[in-house]
Amino acid sequence: MSVVQNRIAVFRAELSMSRKDLADLVGVNPQTIGYLERGDYAPSVELALRLAAVFKAPVEALFSLKPFAPLGHTLKEQGSS
Amino acid sequence: MFVRSKRYPLGKSFPRFTLRAMFAGIYVLYPLGCILQLVSTPETLGVAGDVVGLLMIAAALALFAVLAGSSLQRQSQEPETMLDERELAERNRASFSAHSIFSGLVLLGIIYLMIGRDLIANQKLMVWLPETGEHWNAIFWGLLIASLTLPGALLAWRKGEPEDEAE
Repeated sequence: MSVVQNRIAVFRAELSMSRKDLADLVGVNPQTIGYLERGDYAPSVELALRLAAVFKAPVEALFSLKPFAPLGHTLKEQGSS
Repeated sequence: MFVRSKRYPLGKSFPRFTLRAMFAGIYVLYPLGCILQLVSTPETLGVAGDVVGLLMIAAALALFAVLAGSSLQRQSQEPETMLDERELAERNRASFSAHSIFSGLVLLGIIYLMIGRDLIANQKLMVWLPETGEHWNAIFWGLLIASLTLPGALLAWRKGEPEDEAE
């Protein structure tokens, strides 16, 4: 199990994208997307940057060494600021 | 060895249990079949033992033929440029372990041959040693099958269940 947390599944669902679509865009086997989403595999810097480019998001929004805060918590914080 | 088919260019996916059973089948059926063939003489098991041994070897080769078109064999045998970074990383780990296991097997075999030869030369104990071309042929094909399937077998034991790719 990888120690790198990620939000690939969340971003992919937001774009209504299948694993195969995303895999084709970043040039990997569709199964690899499943491994990444489950946290069974930590991607290389190159693959992480390619994924971030597909989602048009900074790489730190997609990957983190610490567990991501729940979305509700993040939205609440944004609302108060 | 990976045999690509037009229908499954990335190799056919099997449930993990099936893959493990097929690899285990090869490693059990082939040596047992060879041993049965070896010990089957008219005084011991007769023609029946010979035929059963041959059938076991044929079954092992049939399993090998099925596995040759599997996605795991693709991952373990495909050129590096045809794999993505995860597949390559898993393959490299499996190949390293397979190399260690295979080297250990060959080393154990050589040690057995040397000790066996010494025991026979000193007339201390009679142990079986390969003598005929048939014996060496069986060992050669066994080692060849092991070298071609070990990385795939290790991948089958290490990887999780494949998921629906289009999900």
